[in-house]
Amino acid sequence: MTVLTKTNIDKGLAILKNTQDSKLITNLNSCVHCGLCGESCIYYLTYKDPRYLPAQKVDLITSIYKRYCTFIGKNIPFLTNAKDLDEKNLKEMVDLFFGACTMCGRCNLHCSIGVDIAYLVRTGRMMLAEMGYIPDTIQSTVDASINTGNNMGITKEEFIDTLNWLEDDLKDEVNDEKARIPVDEKDKNILYTLNPREPKFFPLSISAMAKIFYAAKESWTISTSMYDITNYGYFTGNKEEASIIVKRLFDEMKNLNAKELILAECGHGSRAFRWEGPNYLKNKYDFKTITSVELIADYIKTGRIKVDKEKLKQRITLHDPCNLVRNGGIVNEQRYIINQIAKDFVEMTPHGIDNLCCGGGGGQLAMSEYNERRMAIGERKADQIKNTSAQIVITPCHNCVDQLIQINSYYKLNVQIKTLAEIVADAIILE
Amino acid sequence: MNWYIKLTLVSFAICLITYTYHLIKIISRGKPKDFSESIGNVGSAVLYSFTRGMSPKKKESAYLHIPTYTAGMIYHLGTFLSIALFFLILIEVNFNLKINIVLSVLLFVSGFCGIGILIKRILKKELKALSNPDDYISNLLVTGFQLITAIHLLFYTPVYFIIVSIFLLYLPVGKLKHSIYFFAARYHLGFFYGRRGVWPPQNKV
Repeated sequence: MTVLTKTNIDKGLAILKNTQDSKLITNLNSCVHCGLCGESCIYYLTYKDPRYLPAQKVDLITSIYKRYCTFIGKNIPFLTNAKDLDEKNLKEMVDLFFGACTMCGRCNLHCSIGVDIAYLVRTGRMMLAEMGYIPDTIQSTVDASINTGNNMGITKEEFIDTLNWLEDDLKDEVNDEKARIPVDEKDKNILYTLNPREPKFFPLSISAMAKIFYAAKESWTISTSMYDITNYGYFTGNKEEASIIVKRLFDEMKNLNAKELILAECGHGSRAFRWEGPNYLKNKYDFKTITSVELIADYIKTGRIKVDKEKLKQRITLHDPCNLVRNGGIVNEQRYIINQIAKDFVEMTPHGIDNLCCGGGGGQLAMSEYNERRMAIGERKADQIKNTSAQIVITPCHNCVDQLIQINSYYKLNVQIKTLAEIVADAIILE
Repeated sequence: MNWYIKLTLVSFAICLITYTYHLIKIISRGKPKDFSESIGNVGSAVLYSFTRGMSPKKKESAYLHIPTYTAGMIYHLGTFLSIALFFLILIEVNFNLKINIVLSVLLFVSGFCGIGILIKRILKKELKALSNPDDYISNLLVTGFQLITAIHLLFYTPVYFIIVSIFLLYLPVGKLKHSIYFFAARYHLGFFYGRRGVWPPQNKV
């Protein structure tokens, strides 16, 4: 942590004084303190502590805005509870913005006014980033990305080695010596990205996607220099670092001259590259960027891959990753895919854009100091899963997979957690 | 012209100028410059944001809090009615007694809704923790505005103009300025979800 200086305070306040557009000033002036947002937040629902009301998080940032940017706040601060940006409030900001919000955005939809609360929390994180108050744990994940090219610090040799044995497995599975996992090849249709958790902990999800590409006869490649779709710089609010990570993937696209970039099953990574990335770079992409979920749905729809509709007989449910669904608009594709494969698909309540966050978003998985809280808020998701009586939970996001695996164990759900690619690969009919 | 009417007109002018300042600030800064490739329809989403997206069926803040939501809606309707009546009173439009009684009853009901909301703010732990003097002042002024309008319709009183003047002067200062920022907030939410194809909800596949 940094010592608070006048320069630091000015850096933080500069974020609040942003005049680029009217979004910030609008959201900073809109909350009416009705307090009706509590039931939309998993933290408040779990703890019933007024501190965790989304409106309190909004108030924390608006009270500072009022103190430094409004006439009343400057001159009669008690009237609107305008607060100084001091050590005490910074400590509260770190705890609430990093440790008590996954920026899932569910409260936005249910806010009586329509305040973009997640955006304000993100703005708060940006202030903390500017002032050097990012928790060390999550910052170390960003540092790993910046220094090694991926957030797990996997060496290139280790990665290539993993891909080699996965390729051997693929050949065995599809019974074709020509089956490949092409690396660093230029001029392909697709450059496929990965969440580094895949090569590190879940390599079978890479072979699952490789099998899908094989079945679709796709022209594709993986880069061994820049394959990491995650972007924890987005979570920390450090625009510079988030931009570096986005730029690397952008440059690798150019270097390999692929036509489309396919975003792996990673909610925040998809969001950070597809939706935030062009704004970090202040440039429109001149290539197509879609998620693997959309790609697989398209393969099935167009008949490029065939799947066995009788394959999955167990009851299946789906967890919607917040960044992919509520904040990314990918709502129906995953349902289409599952309905092509599973006979017994049951939705959670609520689901789709109204889903409950699993508790692993917003960088929570990288901040061990909040582990206890993360498991506590996961109880809502555990209850949702239990209520479906499903045996398999599918989610197209590796961060969600991690959190759900931990929830599964903690709340003794006895379910299997799978990615979409995994269940599709299992159901593929090879011709 | 009486001094209290002059006071009200000056307050109204100040309110209007300050509101215009906020409006210019919002409009001049404009919408976010987004370089990402939109997959949705912003226009439809903004429309959705102001219509079905506001439906009580879509919002937990409404359907999980029916009494508060209902009281809030009545309270807001009472405010709109009071504002409309303010303009009519200024231009000296008079209704007959029957209409005045009906309007007064409506405003008493909405005013009592405001009092109910205030009591809830005082009694509920999490709301009290969230509240600041501005929240209480805003409620008292709006409730007072409605109740004094109701009284003024039945018994002409100069107090009406004094209370309305205070209300008008405070309107653009505290949280009551959400009356202008609310529209911008709904627009931005529609813009955000519209570009990403989240709103309006659809079955694409």
